[in-house]
Amino acid sequence: MESRPFVLKHMLPISRVERYWKGLEEGKIYGTRCQSCGASFYPPQADCSFCYSGDMDWVEIDGEGVVECFTRIQRPPQGFEFASGGYVIVVAAFGSFKVMGWFKGEGLPEVGMKVKAETGKDELGVWKVYLTPL
Amino acid sequence: MKVGVIGVGCSKFGVRRDVTLQEVAFEAVKEAMTDAGVSRDDVELSVVGTAGTRSYELMPAVPVNEYCGFAGKGPLRVEAACATGSAAVYVAYSSIKAGLVDVAIAIGCEKMTEVDTATSLAVGGRGGSYLWEFHQYGTTFPGHYAMHASAHMSRYGTTEKQMALVAVKNHRNAARNPKAHFQKEVTLEEALASSYVAYPLRLFDCSPISDGAAAAILASEKKIKELGVDNPIWISGVGYSSDTANLSRREDYGGLRATVNASRMAYKMAGIDSPLKQLDIATVHDCFTIAEIMAYEDLGFCRKGEGGMFIKEGESDFGGSIPVNTFGGLKAKGHPLGATGVAMVYEVVKQLRGEAGSLQVDLKNYKGLTHNIGGTGHFGWVFVFEV
Repeated sequence: MESRPFVLKHMLPISRVERYWKGLEEGKIYGTRCQSCGASFYPPQADCSFCYSGDMDWVEIDGEGVVECFTRIQRPPQGFEFASGGYVIVVAAFGSFKVMGWFKGEGLPEVGMKVKAETGKDELGVWKVYLTPL
Repeated sequence: MKVGVIGVGCSKFGVRRDVTLQEVAFEAVKEAMTDAGVSRDDVELSVVGTAGTRSYELMPAVPVNEYCGFAGKGPLRVEAACATGSAAVYVAYSSIKAGLVDVAIAIGCEKMTEVDTATSLAVGGRGGSYLWEFHQYGTTFPGHYAMHASAHMSRYGTTEKQMALVAVKNHRNAARNPKAHFQKEVTLEEALASSYVAYPLRLFDCSPISDGAAAAILASEKKIKELGVDNPIWISGVGYSSDTANLSRREDYGGLRATVNASRMAYKMAGIDSPLKQLDIATVHDCFTIAEIMAYEDLGFCRKGEGGMFIKEGESDFGGSIPVNTFGGLKAKGHPLGATGVAMVYEVVKQLRGEAGSLQVDLKNYKGLTHNIGGTGHFGWVFVFEV
């Protein structure tokens, strides 16, 4: 027999990194850098995990990225039914930042491929980074 | 003061729609209690390791503890993703080591098939950092390891065939393990013909979604003498580590830093400087075939980048340098998250006692290792055991 239905949907508290989410809407990708010790963070965070300073600069990430690893998800999880044909996830290095994104190109990427980062939203309206081959 | 394992138990792994979480845990506990020859009165602390969420019991430690007869003796509930079982063993071990109790039981249990596959993938995909990974990009657990596989293949020339050989070996071992999820061999051709789940990992590169439980009873040296236990397996090395939640904050994707750090910590404690010469058996975390290949390298069984050749040349098979995952590994024995780390202890204890039947390894050093990873190197645990 089946259990009673139980729906979990959380509110996401993003106020301390709101600039990141606004930036995606403006076509910009931001990380943060600690004013005190210089540590860089992507994804961005409001507090430094290394020296505990709360003074952070917002740093725009752009230019040329290099693919470090990737996968093509063939079996999407619950919540990604809109992408039933699969999607490609990439991690690419942009200087001292590494950025995860969906690959927007023909076929599969390769490790070492050069990419540029763009922003956009998916079919459910979630903003994200797209990585396109150069 | 030394701490030893005096009793182990393991349920049948697989799709266990016949049992609740409590009932499957009971199967393992009953066997462990009988194996140790102790009574409930002897056990002072119960530690319940279960990752949870996929089972209808969302706060499962107390129901499990009650059903197994340990109400009032804990429970401590621990969670470390796929390394939950090892974390449970550590809590039992450290409680004894600290002198707080003399006998503790670590119960690892998981029901994973009470939800559908898409939901299970959505739970596993939350194993890193939800907001920055799953929410935006729909990462899945196979996807995490597939990304490591892509880097390993590119940098070291590791092939899909080498990864498939891990599946072939572990299925061959599981076929002789009556408690395994898959008691069935697969051929290299079958493994390589299976469809991709997360490129470059195919269906046969992935461990199944399993239900199951395992239990280990640990005791102080003093209590072991008092009980007259004549076959304790001593815990001589303990190592733990972890890594970043976000994969984008990792330095490298060709291995798991948590494995390197945890193993060196355990090796130092156990006096292991040459694992291939000093260990007779290893159970390593092969949730995906690439994970076993990376484990060979990160545990120091071979040099970095040579894991593909290590499996190809049969070094991890019976008769090789070190038999690995003799009971079928996570890949074919099954991977009920909370149970896995404790089931590894079950396997090594059975091997070191010489009770592994047709899967028995040759014993020269009477030492073995368990290596259990949570997430994708998000947690890392290594234990060394000896007679």
